[in-house]
Amino acid sequence: MNPYVQSLLGILLSAILTENFILVKFYGICPFMGVSKKTDTAIGMGMAVTFVMAIAAAACWAVNELILVNLGLEYMQTVAFILVIAAIVQVVEMFLKKAIPALYKALGVYLPLITTNCAVLGVALVNVQQGYDFLQSVLNGAAGGVGFTVAIVLFASIRERTDRSNCPESFKGYPLALIAAGLLALAFMGFSGLKIF
Amino acid sequence: MKIGKMFKEGLLTKNPVLVQLLGMCSILAITTSLFNGIGMGISVTIILICSNVLISALRKVIPSQIRIAAYIVIIAGFVTIVDLALQAFLPELSESLGVFIPLIVVNCIILGRAEAFASKNTVAASAMDGLFQGIGYTVALVIMCVIREFLGAGTFGGGILNGGEGIRILPEGTPAMMMIMPVGGFLTLGFVVAGFQWLMKRMEKKKKEAEKK
Amino acid sequence: MKNVLYILRIVGTLFLITALVAAGLAGVNAITQPRIAEYKAEKMEKAMKEVLPEGENLNAVAFTDETGMVNAVYACDAGFVVEVAPAGFGGTISMMVGIDMEGAVKGVSIVSQTETAGLGAVAAATTSSGQAFRDQFVGLSGTLAVDKDGGEVDSITGATITTRAITYGVNAALACVRNLG
Repeated sequence: MNPYVQSLLGILLSAILTENFILVKFYGICPFMGVSKKTDTAIGMGMAVTFVMAIAAAACWAVNELILVNLGLEYMQTVAFILVIAAIVQVVEMFLKKAIPALYKALGVYLPLITTNCAVLGVALVNVQQGYDFLQSVLNGAAGGVGFTVAIVLFASIRERTDRSNCPESFKGYPLALIAAGLLALAFMGFSGLKIF
Repeated sequence: MKIGKMFKEGLLTKNPVLVQLLGMCSILAITTSLFNGIGMGISVTIILICSNVLISALRKVIPSQIRIAAYIVIIAGFVTIVDLALQAFLPELSESLGVFIPLIVVNCIILGRAEAFASKNTVAASAMDGLFQGIGYTVALVIMCVIREFLGAGTFGGGILNGGEGIRILPEGTPAMMMIMPVGGFLTLGFVVAGFQWLMKRMEKKKKEAEKK
Repeated sequence: MKNVLYILRIVGTLFLITALVAAGLAGVNAITQPRIAEYKAEKMEKAMKEVLPEGENLNAVAFTDETGMVNAVYACDAGFVVEVAPAGFGGTISMMVGIDMEGAVKGVSIVSQTETAGLGAVAAATTSSGQAFRDQFVGLSGTLAVDKDGGEVDSITGATITTRAITYGVNAALACVRNLG
């Protein structure tokens, strides 16, 4: 197989399973704990994050390659990326509100939270570090978002049950959720070393 | 200003990690050796104090509609300064923490304190708040590091003591490697938070009993 | 009119803050940049010295490589230093392999990696176990394989993927030097 296509498939597989953004790399833990009490909201959040991550990965790649590298301003990466992400979130919010009200209704409340989701900034920084090209960056962003969605939806369906369970009082709430997340991470460890080639 | 009360809040009753559960990405990801934990804790504390002071100083200048954007730019500036300084003067730490240094930008503790405290209080109070919240964060990081390093690698003080190898407590081969993997991060934090909640409840109970008498 | 002024104030403030931050960063960068560059160059040089102690006046040479892992090959009278970057468990591992004139490994050094702390990261550690891991490659030639695959390379406990990646890197370096003749 063409090595480039192979690298794309590799990115896809590792972002979703073997190096899942949440359970292995720990990007985006805050929304993972905060917005995972119900499965429907988890799906909404996951979709919003996937959408923004793909766009942000593309935009940050462009800003880095076309502006920062040419001007020798690589040290401004973090500042530039976070501004780009904040702007994208704003634009996406306004655009959805006008153009696709139904989608806005579903995703709107999650959008402001995404600016401070480290998965989004994380993917932009990792893309630069790994030297990905445009297509690889966008794919890594989108696949990372899918990985986030998979993890948060699985986790939400577990939490719906654990929240109603009987457990020692000190473990109620976050501690039990964290331990459940740990077991989920253990399950995802089973994917490590998985290679199609 | 009640420094004692602020100190207690940062360290115990409103500990950013153990009570508010903020900034968990870094808490889970880098707490594998004492060196990492202390390095990260100090970096975050410095950034927290600087951004709190500057945001507090500018609180009357920044229009409220764009305050979040302005805060993020200021925080990102300080984070980059610390990032560059670490790369230049402490390259080992910079390599070991990797992308989690620039990711401090989106660490909810810093933006959270900017919004909840620095934007409403004086410069001096904000600096104090930054310091105490930073200490609370560092203490939580160090607790996590010590537990995970002991269980996962069987050593204490990895990266600092004994020429970087750490002091070996458990013989090689016995530690549960899982504890320094992602799983261990979630499990350890879960148990630490549970233990902390138990301790807080007990303290409250004792206080009430003492009042009754 | 009031509205326009307000917007101007918002845009102006944000612009001013960004400009100030950018100026501050430019200043800090001017101080740290030379040190970072120096450190990186030092590290590369140290890694080269480590893998090929006799190597002097190393020059980059043209090479052919089928694996896509080799970044550069430097040659001198004592042998070659090959810069390879295989894919590890947590990302790319950047490493140097020194090879003598007989085509055997003289030394392996890992310049940067993002492997799991305490597991894969042992391969790059300055500790005795890290050193022993890297030294086992010395004197070997041909095509190597990890013990789990029936080969001669002892893998690090719990880090077979990292070990495999480094072994592939060494293989790529050896093959590359063989191609040079």
